[in-house]
Amino acid sequence: MSQMFPTPAPGSPVTEPAARATGLTKVYGKGETRVTALDSVFVEFARGRFTAVMGPSGSGKSTLMHCMAGLDRVTSGSARIGGTELASLSDKQLTALRRDKVGFVFQGFNLLPTLTALENITLPLRLAGRQPDPAWLETVVTTVGLAGRLAHRPTELSGGQQQRVAAARALVSRPEIVFADEPTGNLDSRSGAEILGFLGDSVRELGQTVVMVTHDPVAAAHADRVVFLADGLLVDELHEPTADAVLDRMLRFEAQSRTR
Amino acid sequence: MLRTALRNVLAHKARLLMTVLAVCLGVAFVSGTLVFADSSSAAYRAAVSRNFADIAVSVTPKFAPSATAEDQRTTVLDDALVRKLAKLPGVTTARPLADGTATLSAKDGSPLRAGKTWANLAAAYVPGEGGRDSRYPLVNGRAPHNSDEVAVDSGTAAAGGFGIGDMVTMATNGPVMTKRLVGIVSTKDPRVTAGGTLALFDKATAQRLFASPGHYTGIDLAAAPGTAQSELSDRVTAVLPADRAEVSTATAQAAQQAVNVDVLTRGYEKMPMIFAGVSLFIGSFLIVNTFTMLVTRRTREIALLRAIGASRRQVVRSVLLEAALVGLAASAVGFPLGLGVASVLPDILNTSQEVLPSGPLVISAQPVVAALAVGVGVTVLAAWLPSRRAARIAPVEAMRSAEQPPSAARSRIRGLVGLVLLVLGAGLLVSLAGAKDASEGNLDSAMLGCALLGAALIVLAPLLADPVVRLIGRLTTRFGVIGHLARENALRDPRRTAATASALMITTALVAGLAVIGNSTGQALDRQAASGLGADYVISTRDTTTAIDTAAVRRVADTSGVRTASAIADSTLFTGGKSQQISGVDPETVNSVMKLHFVSGSAKNLGPGRIAVSRTLAEQGGLSAGSRLNASIGRGQDFKQYSVVGVYEDNPVARDALGYRPEVQNNSFMPGSVQRLLVRTDNNAVSKDTESRLRAAVGNNPLLKVQDRGQLVHEAAGTVGNLLTLMYGLLVIGVVIAALGIVNTLAMSVSERTREIGVLRAIGMDRVGIRRMIRLEAVTVAAFGTLLGLLGGLFGAWAVGALANGAITQYSLALPWGTLALVCLMSLALGAVAAALPARRAAALSPLRAATEL
Repeated sequence: MSQMFPTPAPGSPVTEPAARATGLTKVYGKGETRVTALDSVFVEFARGRFTAVMGPSGSGKSTLMHCMAGLDRVTSGSARIGGTELASLSDKQLTALRRDKVGFVFQGFNLLPTLTALENITLPLRLAGRQPDPAWLETVVTTVGLAGRLAHRPTELSGGQQQRVAAARALVSRPEIVFADEPTGNLDSRSGAEILGFLGDSVRELGQTVVMVTHDPVAAAHADRVVFLADGLLVDELHEPTADAVLDRMLRFEAQSRTR
Repeated sequence: MLRTALRNVLAHKARLLMTVLAVCLGVAFVSGTLVFADSSSAAYRAAVSRNFADIAVSVTPKFAPSATAEDQRTTVLDDALVRKLAKLPGVTTARPLADGTATLSAKDGSPLRAGKTWANLAAAYVPGEGGRDSRYPLVNGRAPHNSDEVAVDSGTAAAGGFGIGDMVTMATNGPVMTKRLVGIVSTKDPRVTAGGTLALFDKATAQRLFASPGHYTGIDLAAAPGTAQSELSDRVTAVLPADRAEVSTATAQAAQQAVNVDVLTRGYEKMPMIFAGVSLFIGSFLIVNTFTMLVTRRTREIALLRAIGASRRQVVRSVLLEAALVGLAASAVGFPLGLGVASVLPDILNTSQEVLPSGPLVISAQPVVAALAVGVGVTVLAAWLPSRRAARIAPVEAMRSAEQPPSAARSRIRGLVGLVLLVLGAGLLVSLAGAKDASEGNLDSAMLGCALLGAALIVLAPLLADPVVRLIGRLTTRFGVIGHLARENALRDPRRTAATASALMITTALVAGLAVIGNSTGQALDRQAASGLGADYVISTRDTTTAIDTAAVRRVADTSGVRTASAIADSTLFTGGKSQQISGVDPETVNSVMKLHFVSGSAKNLGPGRIAVSRTLAEQGGLSAGSRLNASIGRGQDFKQYSVVGVYEDNPVARDALGYRPEVQNNSFMPGSVQRLLVRTDNNAVSKDTESRLRAAVGNNPLLKVQDRGQLVHEAAGTVGNLLTLMYGLLVIGVVIAALGIVNTLAMSVSERTREIGVLRAIGMDRVGIRRMIRLEAVTVAAFGTLLGLLGGLFGAWAVGALANGAITQYSLALPWGTLALVCLMSLALGAVAAALPARRAAALSPLRAATEL
């Protein structure tokens, strides 16, 4: 199945990023109702790093994630995961790419209510017709702290537990990159902190790559790097952030946009 | 309130479309059938009144009860009486009749429209003023002048392929006659125009055939304007010999015929009405399901209405009003569709034997009212349950997001009610298994048992959904995780799954039950027809009052390829108040043409005063070989002692008793006559060739039937054929409605699960997978309905079959594997096909749906 999309060309540098946007532009609608959500964005997400994408509502941060994750098509420019250009893929190839190379954590958990926690976790693998690697599954399940609740259905789990199942589902296929869309948006602060902890652990201990869209400076502070988006443009970035530093930047952007 | 309901209907146009379609199908059948019945009844009445247009009163002869066939030929109606009646004041014309029946052979030698003797009319051509008979206007050629000539009506000529100058073969009774066709007339007689035949002879010939020279079978009188029929009737009665003739007015005759017409058209109504009932019944599940889903989906909205002060009653009323609007729409669409049904029904029901009179569609108020009542009534009635559900929604549910699962207490009640119904129904049916006969009471109990069983299945279906779907899931999960998801989706709301499957369940139960009963009955009739018959061909008369002429019997025996031709004289055996059928046979040949199994004695000892009786008759009369029976045969009025020389197992060919042929013939209504001829061929050869040689031997007499074993079975299975038509009709209707239901439920489910499908797409299920998942869910639901229906239908058929066993001894349960397999296959295919549209819609959903917050 993994042969369905082009593998990176031989000789490409080992330091190649997990995902890269080059002049990424996304336009919705036509004529009068035309909205430019992303206006030629250049950004790279390095392997083994935890990156947060921040920005106010309507800044294009969700659109950026959707395009990078192969959920939505770009208008122009390029979105790559590993060495694969997403624009060149058919729907079928794109589906296989999402299944094998990308993991998702959504704000609304988005578990299948008819499946147990374990079935939800292994769903991407089963869709690919693969058997889960027992050792890795064990690692993932222990990391998110779900052992003992695997036979439960989502409705029998708390919001925090559901999101941990979702995190485990995103990690189980050892994806090249995990996209998390406001993963703490529907959680109380304690559960939110736990999830952010797991995402951080998965990067630092399991070597995963995570890109998280958020508008919460505290959440962003868990990342190694924060990129700021405003009005469809990449406007700033911050390394090894603290919550205060992120909040400070955010307030500055808002002040700028108010004076503009 | 009306505005809210209207807005709701318009907002859910697509959701309600399937419901409207299902209801309008039922409405179309009901209104179409009613319009059809009205129209054909009106057409019949028009035809009848046209036929009586020039008649005011009719005079017919009257006979003493003891008169024989020969006595009845001489009537009191003669030319003198005709002249006398013509001179009565108020009478314009007096037309003598010499009517009877004549069966014709078509040009290819086959009997022409010979199904019903009463429709094979024969009459005298009676020239009036100008030498023409105004009742039968000539279309072509001329009137018959002598006994070698005949005229027919244009319909008969067309059906038989006759032209002027052709020789026409026919029989009225006894030997075949051949006459030259000299004229073609038109007629308004509805018996002829509705698929009968008419042969006209010159007056003398007709008198000789149907009365006797100089005598008539009736006199029709036309009245002068201003003379009332009753007035004329009184005047005519005064001059008639009281005991020998009687008078009836045309109005009375037309009224009598109209009653017959109504009976006939009511008969035609039956099957379409069954279709209508079944389609509405099945459709009502779809209605319940749709409205339940709509109510569930609007739970928050309804709770909000309740929270801001709407009463329970207002909520109920708004749902019912919505249902009424849907029903109204269905009626509006269904009625014109019904007119379509009404206009094609005659073509479907017309056969070569019967032609329904044509006429314009008559639309009276009744079908319009019925369409509205059925459409609105059924929809509102079916929506009543969901409306109760809506009323139960508590205001607080406006604040909740998830739907509450049905309480355990509720399923316990459901289980209890279902089990009680099941036990009652099954118990009733099982208790009938010991019943010996298909009496009215037993049939009613069987119907009640089946109804209870059906109700039990419907009530229990939601509880059965879980285990049965899990069972079916063992197959679907072979498709991997997709099959697993499909199974879980089908299990998600067992009530919805059950309601969707119910349409298919009922259809399958009905069709499977009918198929099994039909097949078993057919095989039993087959065995029965074959069991008693040793002969290869049976030649018999179409009409019980006619006979095979002796010359024909001789010719058949001499036909090449015929080994044995055994003549049988049928008559009646009277035994103290009861009448039995006795067959007069030749003791030497009877064993080679009948398969007789003697319990005691044998056929060899048959002779004058010696008879053999069937086992049933022996048991009734306490008879055995060697005992004596006081009885009389045929018209012989004297009882005498017959000695019983044998008792045989019941045999439909031998009938109740066997007698010595010459003795039976002597006492017959037509002395010396033969009614059946059983033919054994060399090497038991049955071929078209043999058949045509036999036909030729009996002079191609259209009154006689030449049938081989297969044709006899086919004739006996006529009623089973009707059952099959009904069965396949029901299958088609049920499957169509079930398909609508599945499309409906799946479309609703897909739109409810948009987000979930988006997630599946996002985490890597491709479009093919989504489509397959939806399709497998549909097939699972269809399989569930089919399985339950099949079990119910087979059980019902088994129980009802026990009754048939009493009526037909050879009955045993025979499963029509082919038909049952076809039903299952159709149901499963239906699931896959019905899922196509919702599956496509689901597959087209973008994975972005997963990320969109609702």
